[in-house]
Amino acid sequence: MAFLIRTISHSAEGREIVRPSRVEGDRLTIGRDPACNIHLTDLAVALRHATVDHRAGRLRVQVEQGLTVELNGHKLNLGHIELATGGDMLIASHLLRFMPTPAGSDEIAVDVERVSEGEAKLDKSSERLFSLASVMPSKRLTAWLLVLLVLGVGLAWPIQAFRERHQRQDRAASFARFQADELWSSGHLSAAHARLQHDCSACHVKPFESVRDTACLACHKDIHGHGDPYRLARAQPELSGWGSFQLRVKQAFNLPPGRCIDCHTEHQGPQVMPPTPQHFCSDCHADLKAKLPDTRIGNVADFGHAHPEFRPVVIAGWNGPRPLFRQVSLAAAPSEDSGLKFPHAMHLSHGNGVAQMARRLGSAYGFGEALACRDCHVRTPDGVRFQPVSMKENCSMCHSLAFERVGGTLRTLRHGEPDQVVADLREYYRGRSLPAPPSFGPLARRRPGSAVDYEERVRFAAGAAAAGSADRAIRAVFSPGGACYDCHRVIAPPPGSLDYRIAPVAFPVRYMHKGWFDHRPHATESCQTCHQAEHSQSASDVMLPGIATCRSCHGGERTSKPVASSCAMCHDYHMDRGVPAMVIRQRVRGKQRDTAVLRAEEAGMPGGDSRAGPDPAR
Amino acid sequence: MGALEVARTGGARTQLGEGASHEGFLRHKSFFWLKVSVALCAVATLAYLLVDQQPRPSGGSFYGYAMGTLGLLLILWLTLLGLRKRAMTSGRWSLKAWTSAHVYLGLSLVVIVTLHTGFQLGWNVHSLAYGLMMLVILSGIYGISVYHGLPRALSNSRAEMTRPQMIDTVMKLDRQLQNAAQPLDQAETLIVRRSLDDKPFRAGTLRRISGANARCPTMRALAEMRRRKALASGQEVEAIETVIGLLERKSAALARIRKHLQIKALLEVWLYVHVPLTFALIAALVAHIVSVFFYW
Repeated sequence: MAFLIRTISHSAEGREIVRPSRVEGDRLTIGRDPACNIHLTDLAVALRHATVDHRAGRLRVQVEQGLTVELNGHKLNLGHIELATGGDMLIASHLLRFMPTPAGSDEIAVDVERVSEGEAKLDKSSERLFSLASVMPSKRLTAWLLVLLVLGVGLAWPIQAFRERHQRQDRAASFARFQADELWSSGHLSAAHARLQHDCSACHVKPFESVRDTACLACHKDIHGHGDPYRLARAQPELSGWGSFQLRVKQAFNLPPGRCIDCHTEHQGPQVMPPTPQHFCSDCHADLKAKLPDTRIGNVADFGHAHPEFRPVVIAGWNGPRPLFRQVSLAAAPSEDSGLKFPHAMHLSHGNGVAQMARRLGSAYGFGEALACRDCHVRTPDGVRFQPVSMKENCSMCHSLAFERVGGTLRTLRHGEPDQVVADLREYYRGRSLPAPPSFGPLARRRPGSAVDYEERVRFAAGAAAAGSADRAIRAVFSPGGACYDCHRVIAPPPGSLDYRIAPVAFPVRYMHKGWFDHRPHATESCQTCHQAEHSQSASDVMLPGIATCRSCHGGERTSKPVASSCAMCHDYHMDRGVPAMVIRQRVRGKQRDTAVLRAEEAGMPGGDSRAGPDPAR
Repeated sequence: MGALEVARTGGARTQLGEGASHEGFLRHKSFFWLKVSVALCAVATLAYLLVDQQPRPSGGSFYGYAMGTLGLLLILWLTLLGLRKRAMTSGRWSLKAWTSAHVYLGLSLVVIVTLHTGFQLGWNVHSLAYGLMMLVILSGIYGISVYHGLPRALSNSRAEMTRPQMIDTVMKLDRQLQNAAQPLDQAETLIVRRSLDDKPFRAGTLRRISGANARCPTMRALAEMRRRKALASGQEVEAIETVIGLLERKSAALARIRKHLQIKALLEVWLYVHVPLTFALIAALVAHIVSVFFYW
């Protein structure tokens, strides 16, 4: 019997090196002692660790007292290996593999190999050693940490800021500095709302509820609505399929339609609100009559081709001292009762006495060859409109009321006070005997040739005196040809009385109260382009241009005309008397200014507030 | 697998199964998902140009909400690849088809979500979600690009060895070095011992990726021993020569390991960005959506 021992080792490159040896006999000794048949150079192996004896087809393994070997996976002190099946014996780091030996063979093959410490373990761990997983923190841990960080900063912190603000009574204190819920702001607020940037709750009042108009109205207390909400709702256009789908989605997400922020969107950066598109108005107004039959507003779809004729507010008559205003279409050729007599054509003529006088007075008042519009009509300070003409500022340049010279001063009849005129004339004639003038006085007033022509005026009064009566002079002043009668409507006194009255006078400063017109941008045109004053024989002519005149330059939103004009150029959604918001944004970029208006009373005449008009028609 | 497929479906399929000729997930079904993705982007862009968003394009317009919802659903579905990849199947909804869709639909998010933002970005949670999404997509693009070439390089770098064998080689050389260094004096053994104590796997992520070996103790020991060889005499020269030979072999073995580590790190590093940032992105989306409705 013999053991055939193959000692297997590996070169550095992994090549297998086999050293065979042969041990005769039935016994095999294993240990660290070089005298052993199998010499294992491992400090964990005892000098004489184990012996293997061949006995009748099996090998008896006996290990030194107190030591063990691993035989086929079992730690033993004493064991057997069947020759027919063979077996593995592990001693410390060495594996002895007893090969299966057929019966009758007299050689038992044994492979001796050093299995490096935990090589089996290395196999598994080498994958990990080579992988980044051995040096990187685990993906799961990183993911959890990042999730907590993001939710903490992006969700918990802002919610905490919101709750704190609501618990605190003194909210204003926190507006000065950064609040965590600003992390939720999707963009800068508009320039007008920039001061609210730290106070999200100014608009976002309740969590999970969309911004409501009440939040806007808390500050914007005096903003005009567009109309009765009920009527506005009725005027809404029929929704298309897509439109009603959008509406349903909005309602599902608790976004009621028609809120302020539908137009006044926020968090879009410090930008200006875009011009209101025409369809925003025409959606309702193109067919308004059908939806609101009682409306007084005509259907409008486009300024260029679907806009009613202008309907200015004119003075239709008088109720005692109060003017009666009426809104009337220019198509109906309205006339106006301002209470004054004034033929524009005569005053603008180049070839009559007025022109002659203008030339004579030109050096004093800056007139040209004839009177021009600007000689009487003075712009309002903002240049948008014109101030009402006044006796004192405008008419009296030519129409003097002087009747006596006292030293260097001219005495004039008091304008606007007929009682005083009567009294002054009586006083003038009291106890005097004056020579009669060659011509009858009042006619002298009809040629007010010169402001320095005192004598002529004084003679007028003297002429009256020649008749021997103040009464006669008074009657002359208030009668055809008299100083008052030429321009004013005189209300005759009861018989036997000299209590003459003058009908009140008023001029509208603004005719179109629902639309905006500014004279400044139109300064490139002459006045006559729009106002046919040189042909007007009567003060009752309403010389406003019709829409056809405007349309020679202005078209609708999309037009081939020189000036594209959407509704917002003249009208505001939030109606007020001022400049339309779009015009302000485009040009003024500042405070909304209303026109400074001189009242008729200030001009020395009784009369109503020319700006007063009927309630806005719907 | 192809034969199995045919057998299982009772011969209903006439084409060869997927295993017959390799078609990567990028070319899957002749770029079917690329076409889907391009179509999606085209529709989104066209709608962006045609839809009148007042006062300006933003996530808060009707179009913005539509794109946002689409983006959210896509992101959640893309994340499911992490679950799906653990179950490999074949056929129409094979893992390969799923991966192909993951890549191309993921790329389409760049267009869809950018249009959702209306190009409004700022320092807020909304843009945080956008930024995280872009980082995830960028890391994904990197991942695809390295998957294209690096696996072959990884295979080549092994020189027909298994990874345990690579480690084992170094360990054996270490044992031999220990023996060979016995005759050397104290100072020289110290140099050798530094090489023995070297742990190539201790290199961190950056050193692995860079493949840097400037601090390699074995290289330094080699240089030092070569210098000492010139000064040594007699028996010592022989011992030093043996050590130098062993150090040269160890150095080569280490270089192979380092190259392998480098390629493996390049191949794996993107997932350490892609996966955790995906979850950070989902958290940011939660914050984004909750905040929108909180301040509705």
